[in-house]
Amino acid sequence: MILQHFEDQESGIMNAIKKNPESASPRKKLALETARLGKRLYSNADDLVWAGPLVPFDLLNAMEVTPCFAEFIASILVSTDAGPLFFENAEQAGYASDTCGYHRMLMGSALKGMIPTPKLLISAMSPCTGGLAAMENLARVFKKDLFILHIPQKESDHGVRILANHIRNMAESVSSHTGKVLDKDRLRKAMENTNKTRDILSNIYKLAQQVPSPVNGRDLSNFGIVLPLFFGTEVGIEIAQSFYDELKSRIKANRSGVPGERIRLMWLQNRIQFKNNLVKMLEKEFNASIVIDELNVITWDPIDPEDPYIGLARRSISSPLNGTVERRVKQIVKLAEAYKIDGAINPCHWGCRQGTGARGLIDSSMKEIGVPVLNLEVDCVDPRNFAEGQLITRIEAFMEMIESRPSPW
Amino acid sequence: MIVAGVDIGSLSGETVILSDDKILSYSIVRTGADSALTAKKATDEALKNADISFEDIDYTIATGYGRVIVPFANENITEISCHAKGANYLFPTVRTILDMGGQDCKAIRCNEKGKVTNFAMNDKCAAGTGRFCEVMADVLGIALEDIGKTSLEAKKDAMISSACAVFAKSEAVSLLRSGVPKSEILSGVHEAIASRVFALLQRVGIEGDFVISGGIAKNIGVIKKVAEKVGLKPLISEEPQIVGALGAALFAKERYKKG
Amino acid sequence: MKDKSKLIGFTCAYTPLALIDAAGFAPYRILPMGDSPDQAGHILHENLCPHVKRVLDRGMQDDIPELSGIVFMNSCDTMRRLNDAWQKVRPNDNTLLVDLPVSNDPGSVSFFAEELALLTDTLSQWSGNNITPERIENSIGRYNELAMHLNELKKRVDNGTLKDGSLRLQTIYNKAATEPIKDVMEMIKQMIDETNELSDGGLPVYLFGNVLPDPEAFVLFESCGARIVSEDLCTGSRMTHSIETDKSSDVFKRLANGLLSRTACARTVDPINPGKMALDVVERANACNARGVIGHTVKFCDPYLARMPSVRDALKKEGISFLLLEGDCTMRSIGQHKTRIEAFIEMLR
Repeated sequence: MILQHFEDQESGIMNAIKKNPESASPRKKLALETARLGKRLYSNADDLVWAGPLVPFDLLNAMEVTPCFAEFIASILVSTDAGPLFFENAEQAGYASDTCGYHRMLMGSALKGMIPTPKLLISAMSPCTGGLAAMENLARVFKKDLFILHIPQKESDHGVRILANHIRNMAESVSSHTGKVLDKDRLRKAMENTNKTRDILSNIYKLAQQVPSPVNGRDLSNFGIVLPLFFGTEVGIEIAQSFYDELKSRIKANRSGVPGERIRLMWLQNRIQFKNNLVKMLEKEFNASIVIDELNVITWDPIDPEDPYIGLARRSISSPLNGTVERRVKQIVKLAEAYKIDGAINPCHWGCRQGTGARGLIDSSMKEIGVPVLNLEVDCVDPRNFAEGQLITRIEAFMEMIESRPSPW
Repeated sequence: MIVAGVDIGSLSGETVILSDDKILSYSIVRTGADSALTAKKATDEALKNADISFEDIDYTIATGYGRVIVPFANENITEISCHAKGANYLFPTVRTILDMGGQDCKAIRCNEKGKVTNFAMNDKCAAGTGRFCEVMADVLGIALEDIGKTSLEAKKDAMISSACAVFAKSEAVSLLRSGVPKSEILSGVHEAIASRVFALLQRVGIEGDFVISGGIAKNIGVIKKVAEKVGLKPLISEEPQIVGALGAALFAKERYKKG
Repeated sequence: MKDKSKLIGFTCAYTPLALIDAAGFAPYRILPMGDSPDQAGHILHENLCPHVKRVLDRGMQDDIPELSGIVFMNSCDTMRRLNDAWQKVRPNDNTLLVDLPVSNDPGSVSFFAEELALLTDTLSQWSGNNITPERIENSIGRYNELAMHLNELKKRVDNGTLKDGSLRLQTIYNKAATEPIKDVMEMIKQMIDETNELSDGGLPVYLFGNVLPDPEAFVLFESCGARIVSEDLCTGSRMTHSIETDKSSDVFKRLANGLLSRTACARTVDPINPGKMALDVVERANACNARGVIGHTVKFCDPYLARMPSVRDALKKEGISFLLLEGDCTMRSIGQHKTRIEAFIEMLR
């Protein structure tokens, strides 16, 4: 069933582009590659590893092992017709509705046999304890081994060294579970690809900062969190390049992402993963654009292709999803300034302790630089209690407030 | 031997008087602010119906939310055990009981002797409770006893996405304003209630025969929706509200015999 | 009278108390008790663990003794956020967040040992004392002794030979977490020497979960007809464990290994045996001949919430009845469960 979903998606996009080559867009390119990844995951042809979002996927790609993280597959499953059913499965099995929707979706679909069996599961305590628990549960359900990557909270040389070693052990464990060896040349090539992708990404983000911004509220949604799945591959470079080219051509044509851009917004945490009209409403009614998503950021230096482990370790540790709020908040403030935003929207994803638990601390730091934050109460994955009307009212009020005050910049 | 069972719930109080194995009389009264007084009122009425006096009662067991404040009871037992006991007396083949009371809702599994083997309770949320139905009846301006019948007139269910009483109330108001017929709103409300209680039932597992007790069992609209979901025809006694008090009376009989 | 400035606050049962003791401080657990108004939800979020919210409430209300510093453990997301929020609401306090690995594999033990060495340096700065290896060994000895005595006391309570056993044991656990251990040790010794008094009836129940420090909760269980024959809570027996005293290996490694290998909180995972917690619950329930198992967790606790389905399944397979209660660290929330607990006991009789 899910395989069919991906196959339909792939052929649908390909046909659409064939019929009308003008309709090709970077967003379609990303959707196409995502569908292909989904196909690989569900066709049983590849060696799969389920991993947490801070695990170095490029290393797995270099081993020709297909990586996938829970939040990614959950966000895809929720858009299928069976989405609500999976939540009900999970809840009937005892997974409390107080927990994160991503993980509930994952467990509900796994119990229905809708998650492909991996060779190994890799998890870390970052970004969240709930995610680690979900991976442990999956390991139990699949009767597969679990490898735990301990990502230190603090950015110290000592911590980096320890994690680098641990990543090495992880690669060995992947090897012994899949029979795939980590070829030195392929690893070097993968790291070079990662660095190329990184450079293009950083250029994309620079373009996105322009006023008015060439991006609309949808172009780069989920971008910074999904793209790492393609790190280390040529496809990753192609996707990034297509976004860069598109933004560049918009700028050349003097076209902003949202026509007549008046309000620039930051979206915190993660996007709402099911169909909704909020972003379009922002564009249409207020000429407001989400110019930056919190996770669309590069916090790491290029990785040394000759000795990648230190660089990979540093990258995982430096993620805003890891460590104290202080670091995350600093990053958010930096982005707020770089993108000259007028306001930020925090969905406060229901059940997310690590992210939503920082609500008040983000608020007060943003207040210091004069940027208002709208805190919503949304389950970003579970559509069953989604009250769009109420959310629209709150967002409209927030927009009216932003319009009535001077820009912080 | 004459024994009494007194069930003090959040919205109503009931007393059942048993003479050996026979129900001599019963009463249902609305709960007042004072539980002890409600218990007395309910028991006085049952005594009157049976034409006996308080001194004739050999043993009394209290149950329900207000069970600890019934001054004349010899003992108290939870309403969970009592509902299983009472349902078993009325329907010896019962294995699953759904009790929808005024303030909470319970799914109970029992064995052939009416002994509880598993249970789940929902007491933090109003969905599936008498209070929820009252609120809805009030919003729509329909008498509580008529909402079941009215809902059956609906051609389709209005979409009530939330089973939370607070949200459902505002959803119902806005549906009403946009001209949706009351019957369809009620049918939607009943659908939301049925989904919630079905989830509760699934926590304990459903096995026939299936009994529904409590005040909401009188709401034919809810019963129909629950029956559809469960896939079993629920057994409902003539007076579903007294099942708890009946169970308490049956326990009183056992305990009195034991001495 | 104790010298108040000699106290170091802590909030998690994974805190290495012996190191705090070795620095010349007395550890003081900020228990989620008292009646500070709910404010923490605004700083954090309402949907966060009530244990952490109540601890922060106490901090915000200044309902804690004067502390020389606070040691937070990175045991779960919410504890990490507590550390963050604390800096915001009490910027002048000394604080340290100690990273805590989730498993006890050798790599994690080494990493944790380094974290403990760092903690020792920090404690040394806070106290001005040089924390020598001898001092640490002595403190380990003291805490091992406390653990031994507490275990002995627990055994008597589990056997039901001590009057008001579970109530008094919890009172002692709370004292051990907040008062100088010398005094507590005296009290324990006296209790152990009390004459046997068999407790009356009560259905044997095994209790597990996370935070349940209010001794009144144990009175409630008993009034519902349950007798707690063994308990595994982070405010109870999980606070005590003994550390290896073989001086030939590194002291920090021994401490790290002891903490990571002690009876696990749901946040600690055994990667070799995913889902082990469920098996542990079954094993312990069987070991104490419990007729039923009660799980009590605070709301919104991800580590426990995620493991409950497997615990439920494992107990079902063994034919052991299970009652799960969720609370918010107040007696009010526990009291609301009275009917459930009573019905559970009635069902098992």
